[in-house]
Amino acid sequence: METAAPLRRHRSFSFGRVWTIATGTLTQLVRMKVFAFMAIFAVVLIGASFAFADLKTEQELKMLKDVSFAAIQLFCMLFAIAGTAMLIPRDVEDRTLYTILCKPVSRLEYLLGKLGGMVLVLVISLGAMDLLFTGVLHLKQRTVVEQNVAELEYRPFRSQEEREKAVAEIIEVATQQGASWNLQAGMAAILAKSIVLTAVTLLVSTFATSTLFTIMVSLALMVIGHAQGLAREVLLDEADGAVLPRLVAGGVALLFPDFKTFDVLDAVITGTVVPGVEVLKMGGLCGIYCVLYMLAAWVLFADKEL
Amino acid sequence: MSTVAAVSVEQLTRVFRVPGLRRREFTAVSDVSVEVQPGEVYGLIGPNGSGKSTTMKVLLGLLRATSGKCAIFGRDSARVDSREEVGYLPENPYFYKHLTGAETLEFYGKLCGLRGRELRDRIGEMLALVDLEESRDRRLGGYSKGMLQRIGLAQAIIHRPRLVVLDEPTAGVDPLGSRQIRDLILELKRRGITVILSSHLLEQVQEVCDRIGIIFRGRMLREGSLAEITEVGNRSELVLEGMTPELMEEIRALAAARGAKWIHDGHPRTTLETLFLEVTSAAAEAARASGGKS
Ligand SMILES: Nc1ncnc2c1ncn2[C@@H]1O[C@H](COP(=O)(O)OP(=O)(O)OP(=O)(O)O)[C@@H](O)[C@H]1O
Ligand SMILES: [Mg+2]
Repeated sequence: METAAPLRRHRSFSFGRVWTIATGTLTQLVRMKVFAFMAIFAVVLIGASFAFADLKTEQELKMLKDVSFAAIQLFCMLFAIAGTAMLIPRDVEDRTLYTILCKPVSRLEYLLGKLGGMVLVLVISLGAMDLLFTGVLHLKQRTVVEQNVAELEYRPFRSQEEREKAVAEIIEVATQQGASWNLQAGMAAILAKSIVLTAVTLLVSTFATSTLFTIMVSLALMVIGHAQGLAREVLLDEADGAVLPRLVAGGVALLFPDFKTFDVLDAVITGTVVPGVEVLKMGGLCGIYCVLYMLAAWVLFADKEL
Repeated sequence: MSTVAAVSVEQLTRVFRVPGLRRREFTAVSDVSVEVQPGEVYGLIGPNGSGKSTTMKVLLGLLRATSGKCAIFGRDSARVDSREEVGYLPENPYFYKHLTGAETLEFYGKLCGLRGRELRDRIGEMLALVDLEESRDRRLGGYSKGMLQRIGLAQAIIHRPRLVVLDEPTAGVDPLGSRQIRDLILELKRRGITVILSSHLLEQVQEVCDRIGIIFRGRMLREGSLAEITEVGNRSELVLEGMTPELMEEIRALAAARGAKWIHDGHPRTTLETLFLEVTSAAAEAARASGGKS
């Protein structure tokens, strides 16, 4: 031990500190064995890949995508809510928060670190599920093509040309419905939604009195997020362009997350191409919601008595 | 150049709102003022619930003051940058259970801006200092209370702060460990680091502190240097070895002749702590000498 270091310069915001807290949160979640749910996902995926074998080529691949996307989305969103809800209460109860905030760490850095940690976990788990899913889909696509081509043997073709056309058609359908970059737009939508849910859950947990309360409120917000786009359309249709309902709907969309923009899964599953602009829009909206909710969380958390 | 006080607490009052239907209030700290100069060791003593921990938390910006002001080296406690210079060990410290000892120190070191080689060296140094080298790769979930206290102490001083705030640093630590912590505090003092601590072990407080504040029900009852508080000015004590009854008689006679009043004589007492320390450290020494590992 030497004598105390000379007066240190303080930087009011440091990405280093945010990163330290984010990776700490990642370690915490990993060691709580949260990735165990991936095993369940793998079972669902593999089950699905055998379940629809007697359907038509197109149908079979579509069902596989349907089930997989539903499972991935459910896992990510529930995990975003349940995982985030316990982060702050745990630190408060264990008084680990004292030992963090008595270091030169601002409360904003702490909150951003927690958000960052959850985003890391989401990216890793979604990435792994994506990889698994794409792999299975690719294999399935190949076996489906092989099977169908083999079946052509028993069909009478008038010419070689006609036969080749039939093969090309099979391949085209399978390619359109199989693994493609377009599917990644769906993954991006799930990630964006989950991140928005993480931010909003973090916001709720800064004023909630219990973890259960946080989870319930966030689940409600998740439902509102999915339903409000539809509700707004119906309402505004009836209102016939009146100003007040428009303002109210706008306010609601700002306060509560609105997942309408992220609604691309159906399109992705049927094979409709999602334009790159849409993906950018999702990213932008996700960013706006994060900034908004984190600012609100900061305002509430800055004054919180520990 | 006038020196800035390491710690200045000015007329601090902290009121807690008691949750419940009727809005009752509870004053945990009331009009407390403390000033600690750089290099001093200050001891805050008082019964349970007297407001020691609350005062420390306000000083560190973990709680807000209801009224009054706190500053560390002239920087207001409410500001994040005042924490650059402080290391804090909370009472009953608790850290992330899933991290190992070394990872815990790494985490807190990084939060203080340490990186790379310096951080690694510092972690090793700190683990050696608090005698946890053997447990460096064990998770904190399996640490005993005393071990947690030590890792807490290590994280508090990892960034070489100029002020160290210790809330009951020896709670739950065995006498030998408690002695090590005492020595560590003295070492910090030797290096010119300011220490403010609270404790219920008055003997230890007496051993290490320059100044002491006695706080009771949120109010500062007595404050001053150790000598000022404990000295009984007109009395003296002498301890002799090989005393004979004849010598005793002679001294008594001499004292009486010079007009001094005999108050008390007897054998100095060994405290239980001293005895325990002698026995255990002798045993530890013997084990080390015979080459057996603990
Ligand atoms: N968050 C809180 N809400 C309400 N009352 C509190 C809160 N924190 C502390 N108190 C009260 O403030 C008083 C002082 O508490 P504090 O923890 O400062 O005591 P202390 O001197 O550290 O005691 P100990 O020696 O037991 O550690 C206690 O009566 C306690 O009940
Ligand atoms: Mg206390």
